This record gives sequence, C-alpha cells and structure tokens, in this order.
Amino acid sequence: MKEEEVLSDKLLDRLEIQGINRRDFLKYCAVTAAVLGLSELEFTTRVAQAIEATSKKPAVIWLEGQDCAGCTISFTGILNPPAASIILDKISLRYHETAMVASGKLSEDVYHETIKQGGYVLIIEGSIPSADDRFCMVGGRPFREMVEEAAKKAAAIIAVGACATYGGIPAATPSKGIGLNKALPGKTVINLPTCPVHPDHLAGTILYFLTTGKVPQLDKIGRPVMYYRETIHDNCRRRAHFDAGRFLKDWNDPEQKDWCMFEKGCKGPVTIADCPVRRWNDGINFCIDCGGVCMGCAEPGFYADMSPLYTAESETSRKIWAMREAGLFKKEI
Amino acid sequence: MGKKITIDPMTRIEGHLKIEVEIEDGKVKNAWSSGTMARGFEALLLGKDPRDASYVTSRFCGVCYSVHQICSARALDAAFGANVPWGGNLIRNLVMGAEYIYDHLIHFYQLSALDYIDIMAVANYTGKDRDLLAVKDKIVGLVKANDTFPLTPRYKPDEFSVKDPDMVISAVSHYIKALKMNAKARNMGAIWGGRTPHYQNIVVGGVTSYPDINQVARFRTMLDEQKKFVEEVYIPDVLAFGTGPLWPLAKMGVGGGHYNYLAYGDFPKDQKGKNLVFPAGVIIGLNPANIKVDPFNPDDITEAVKYSWYRENKPVHPYKGEQVFDLDKKDAYSFVKAPRYKNNAMEVGPMARMIVAKNPTLLDLVSKGAKPGAVARHAARAIETKLIVDACYTWLDELLTEMTKPGFRIHDTEHWDPPESGMGSGFHEAPRGALGHWVKVKNKKIDNYQCVVPSTWNASPRCENGVRGQYEESLIGAPVPDPENPINVVRIIRSFDPCLACAIHIIDPNTNEIRKFMIE
Repeated sequence: MKEEEVLSDKLLDRLEIQGINRRDFLKYCAVTAAVLGLSELEFTTRVAQAIEATSKKPAVIWLEGQDCAGCTISFTGILNPPAASIILDKISLRYHETAMVASGKLSEDVYHETIKQGGYVLIIEGSIPSADDRFCMVGGRPFREMVEEAAKKAAAIIAVGACATYGGIPAATPSKGIGLNKALPGKTVINLPTCPVHPDHLAGTILYFLTTGKVPQLDKIGRPVMYYRETIHDNCRRRAHFDAGRFLKDWNDPEQKDWCMFEKGCKGPVTIADCPVRRWNDGINFCIDCGGVCMGCAEPGFYADMSPLYTAESETSRKIWAMREAGLFKKEI
Repeated sequence: MGKKITIDPMTRIEGHLKIEVEIEDGKVKNAWSSGTMARGFEALLLGKDPRDASYVTSRFCGVCYSVHQICSARALDAAFGANVPWGGNLIRNLVMGAEYIYDHLIHFYQLSALDYIDIMAVANYTGKDRDLLAVKDKIVGLVKANDTFPLTPRYKPDEFSVKDPDMVISAVSHYIKALKMNAKARNMGAIWGGRTPHYQNIVVGGVTSYPDINQVARFRTMLDEQKKFVEEVYIPDVLAFGTGPLWPLAKMGVGGGHYNYLAYGDFPKDQKGKNLVFPAGVIIGLNPANIKVDPFNPDDITEAVKYSWYRENKPVHPYKGEQVFDLDKKDAYSFVKAPRYKNNAMEVGPMARMIVAKNPTLLDLVSKGAKPGAVARHAARAIETKLIVDACYTWLDELLTEMTKPGFRIHDTEHWDPPESGMGSGFHEAPRGALGHWVKVKNKKIDNYQCVVPSTWNASPRCENGVRGQYEESLIGAPVPDPENPINVVRIIRSFDPCLACAIHIIDPNTNEIRKFMIE
C-alpha cells in the first residue's frame, strides 16, 4: 500500500468513528471527484483532511407538519445577515422539505443518517394532529412519530410559528392540531410563536445557540425573553388614543388614521412580542401600522380565544376592556 | 405491468405531496398524485364571524401568501354587498402585484432551477469575473468541507442538465441574488400589507392601509429595482435556458398534459373590473395554429369525488360541496377532489393565463416549435412577471391621482358588519392559477365555505369518468430512462409550482407503510 493510500485509509477509519459511513462517503467522493476532474484517491484524501481540519457546522433538521410553509418563507426573507449565508455558512441544513434539493428516498436517507448521529438543532414548523395521525403523514408515516423520534437526540429544539408552539389555527380544526408544548411534554422547547415566525427571532435564537451552546432565557411559556418581554400595547404608538378612548371606526378618515384599533378587534394589550419595536420586513412595517389589528398570534390562545377577529366581541377583547375599566393598563412612571 | 416508483416526500414545493408513476420502456405509462396533510380549515370556519375568513384562509399557504386573503375578501365583498372603492382595489392590486413578483422569482430560482443545472459544474469555471469566482469558491469550499447540504444529495444530472460552467455559475449567482430580490419584493408589498407572509391589510370592503405619498414613492423605487432584475436577469435566464440547452425538452413538450386551459381572469384595470390584466377564458383541446377561447362561466365548475376519500356524491357545483370523509371508500386514492369544467380536467396557472391571453411572446416560442409543457410553463411565468411589473407602475400612477381627489376612499365602511344572510363567490388569479372561494352567510355567521384552489385543478385525481388530473396526464410519456433517477418526473411536477397545503384534505389511510422512493 502506498503512503497516500494508508493515510486515506486511516482518515476513513476516523471518519467512521465520527459517524460518517465509509461506503457512502467513498461513493460520494467518486462522483464528485469525476466532476471536479481529480483522481478519486486524491479527492478522497483531500476531503477527509478537510473534514478533520474544519470544525463541523452544526446539523439542522427542519420538519414541517400541519404548516403553510409561511415560517420557512418568513425566515428566507431576512436580509441582514442574508438567509443564504446562514443556510450555507453557519449551519448544515440536512433536512428541510421546502428547501432541500433531494426528494423521496434521497431526502429520507439524509434524515435517518442525521437522526442516528444526534446532536442536531431541531426546528419544527406546523402543528401535530392529535385527532388522528393520518391528518399529517410524511414519507408514509405519522408526522407525530417523526417529531418524537427527532426530539430524542436533538441538542436543542425550536418551535417556530403559532402552530408548532401552541397549536395555532389548526388547534381549532377537526384535526385538533397541537403544539410541542403538548406533543413533547417535559422537553425544553424554545417557542417562537407569531404567525409566521419573525425571521429575526429565529436567526437570533439559532445564532445565540451556536455562539453560547445554550438555550436563551425563556419565559413561563418557553419564549425567549429577549424577544417576548413587553406587550404590543406597551410599545404601541396608538397607545395614547387607547387611554383617551379614541377608537378608529372608519379607515377612510385621515383624522382617525392613527387612532386605537381596539374596536376593530386589536388584541395588542394582552399580546407579548416585540413587533412594534422590531417591526417586520426589514423594519418597513408591522400589522398595526398598516391599519391592521394585532390578532394575538404570539399567545397560546391564538386563534380560538381571539375570534371573532375583527370586532371587540371575543373573550379576549372583553377581558381587555375589563382591564381597562379597572385601570390595569395605567403606565407607572 | 411496468416498474412502479414512488416519490415521497416530493420536496421544494409547498405542502406534502406523493407522486407515484408506473414506468414501461423508459417512459411513464401511468401516474397518481396524492397529498398527505390536512387541517380542515373549511370546517373551522363554519359558524364563525364571516370576516374571520380572509385572515384564516390566508394561512392555507405561506408561500403563495395572501392569495386566499384577497379571494376570500372578494367572496365576502359579494356576500356583504360591499363595493370596494377604486383606491382600495388599487392597493389590493399593488400588494398582490408585489406578491406575484416574489412568488415567481422564488419558484424559478429557489424551487426549480436546481432540477435543470449540474451545480457542481461551477468548479470548472475558468473566467475572471470576481463575483462569479466568489460563487465558485463558495461551492467548492462546501464540497471540500464535505458539507454541501442542502444542495446535495440530488438526482443525477441527465442528458438535459445544463453543464456549461459559464451558464451554471451565472445561474447559481442569480440563485443567490434572487433570494435577496424576492425578499425585497416582499418588503415592497409590506409597505401597505403590513408584513409578509400573510398581509394584514386586506379585509372585506377594501383595505385598512390609508396610503401616503412617501409610500407611493418608496414602492416605486423598490419596483424599479425589481423591474431591472426581471428584465435583465430573470427573463434572459429563462429564455437562455429554454431556447438553449433545454430546447430539446421544450420541443418534446415534456409535461404537456390535457392541453385544456382555464383562467378566471384578474387584476382589474378600472373600477368596473371589465378590463383585466389577465383575461378570463377557457380552451378545450388547444390547437396552437388556431386558438379558440371560450368565455368562462363559473356555473360550469363541478367537483367529483369518485376517487377521493369523501362520501360518495355526484359531481356538484362548489356552492353545494360538502366535506364528509369516507376513509374506507373503494377505489379512492386521494383526498384532493377532482374539479372539472364541463367534465374536462383543466390546467390553471401562468401557462393557461398566457395562452388564454394569446400572449405574443409565448406564442412566438410555440410557433418556433416549443410545445406547451414544463419548459413553456417557466417561460409563461417569466413573461407574466413582466406584465405585472408594468401594471404596478400604472396602478401607482392611478393611486397618486386617486389619493389627491377629495373624498378619497379605500374601504366600504357601510358594509363592514356581516349581513343577516347572503352568498357570494370570489375569484383570483393566484400565481399558481385560478382560485375560487364560495361562501354562504346565515344569521351573520358562515353557513358554508368552499374553496377550489389552483393545485386542486392541477393535482386532482381521476374523476368519475376516469379522466386523469393534469399532473397525472402531464407525466404520461415522460422519459425516465433510469427509474432510480426520475429527474424528469420532478421537473414536470415542479413546473406547475405545486402548493398542496390548500389542495389536500387528508392522507390515504390504507397506505401507512413506509413509502420510500422504491421500485416494486
């Protein structure tokens, strides 16, 4: 055996210890070497050395259940840092149905391989049907099983969006969608509600974990306090109109344009999130500033407790009014 | 019987889709498409305040966000008797225009392009362009680190894959740039939509966002950047690929299907809504030499459930539709219903719209030998992106004029409260195709709510007459020389831009075994 071959063989042994399958690795190298115009042995050795030398990017598995892919799309909208740099430079995105190139068995193989290795960051988007597993099947098996299996060896679990955290809209459907708070009882889950997830919340949480190796400080319902500390209401620029009882009735009237949206169904007074400060879409806007109302999508009661959405007749709105009458919203100076 | 292969999950689409094909002599002989996730939004809406519908149905899909919001709002407008002021319609047009630009860009670059290029060819780039060399370094760096996820694994590039290093590296650099551009298009929509995905400003009666002049200027500046990218990058890329290395695929018309096209029409150019950017129309059995477009009549839509997991029922109009599951139904294999127009399976989407519109750019490609199919679908999508960009400029001008008139309105406030009873339908040409919502209101609450969505048209199973849906039909005859590498199957399916979350209601309960991409 030539010296080079011995070296290559030794490296392959070490890779195998790291959980990289020798046969797959060689097969992969053969194809890639041909493409790059290198000899197979030369390429294999070089790649194996590179793996030794570079610190491995953390593996990420992103599972989608009863979702709309809105959280995925929301995440890809981040410009600074660009989503592409997070996906290609910071993490090793092993499985993501909407993003990955592979389909079918190719994609399932990567999933199983990564699960076997463990130590990955697990991101869940979408709820899990509790009425019947058959409401959400992926690759021929219940999504619930995938979540339970993937959670076992995850280094951190992040639930993105209203559906994956507390059930969201699917919770009110016949499929009875549940979030990870119910699907994975007792597990530490970082909850990033809002419908969809705010891209900053997810990027920041991932970067926090990669930098410190720790889960950020969470509130009582698993939300990072760095993003979920004050109510929408506390930072709302329409706040003074709420206190003064000026409520918008007609969207056509420029006079009322900035008045409080309470009568149109706003749930900002009991919704905890930093939307008014952080804003959305690169700071361009957020729900309340487009004359829309806060629907309370960061709260576990979303959607059932917030409906009817566009009037002050929901249970939540009644509660808000009662709190206002009791003077509970008065700001302490 | 040929070899049967299953692709599950079908990735880079919205939703959970399973495709099964039977292969004989290197070609697809038969095909079945089914979806694997359900939430049951329509059932949720029963008994709710009707105004909730536009907010809730937007969440059918977060990729083509807000298409259901506007469609639902239009159905509610009709049921409430609301008359949306022209200012409100202009803002609806503009935010949906921004959604179109984002949606078509993300579909071509992020979701589809990788099916057509051999990305590893970037390593052979020998040019001197600094930006392209940076792209080469990035990809080669990933390969060297043995971590090319999520770009690999992949199906093996085939005879049709583009391998020219210069073309591939420029496509990859545009892939990265397009990610930024589609995010910026979303930001443009958020100027009035509030945020994306899922706008917050479209409600029954109009919009909530009272515009100011700075917003108009801001939108216009951002639109300039999109226009430049669409004209100088997106359209040239699609044409260079479509008439270059992919011309053989285009000429073969891979992914053609039934050649029946349906467009509901959309984007009103005036308050009456008679003139539309995308005209409505129906074509049964396309003859490219003599295109005959019939008028569209919503009453001719029916939905069949013979092969769907619903209680047996004869085909009915969506107003009479029901959703009673029958999980043990014999012969059923999908929970997508089978919508038909006068008993015909139809294609909806960009190619249907551009053919119905007799778009000269697309017809020119056809006259040169491109058959309507997967490649032509990408071309049609690029062509109509430009039409939408141009229309946005017109709408901005009109909005400025409208805004400065006394009594400018964006919302029909007089019809904000739900009526005692009413019914209405709403239509929208979503990026993926013709979308319809039907609502009935009783005692101020939703009494029935039905949607027929683009991917229901395209992804439908067979109807009671055994006619295949458009996905299924378009796969017939597709070359699959290597059953382990069914790259043409995924090319065809992705050319439709599948969006299954809204089309699908439940999984086939009898096939719980692990459904891998397997050869039976």
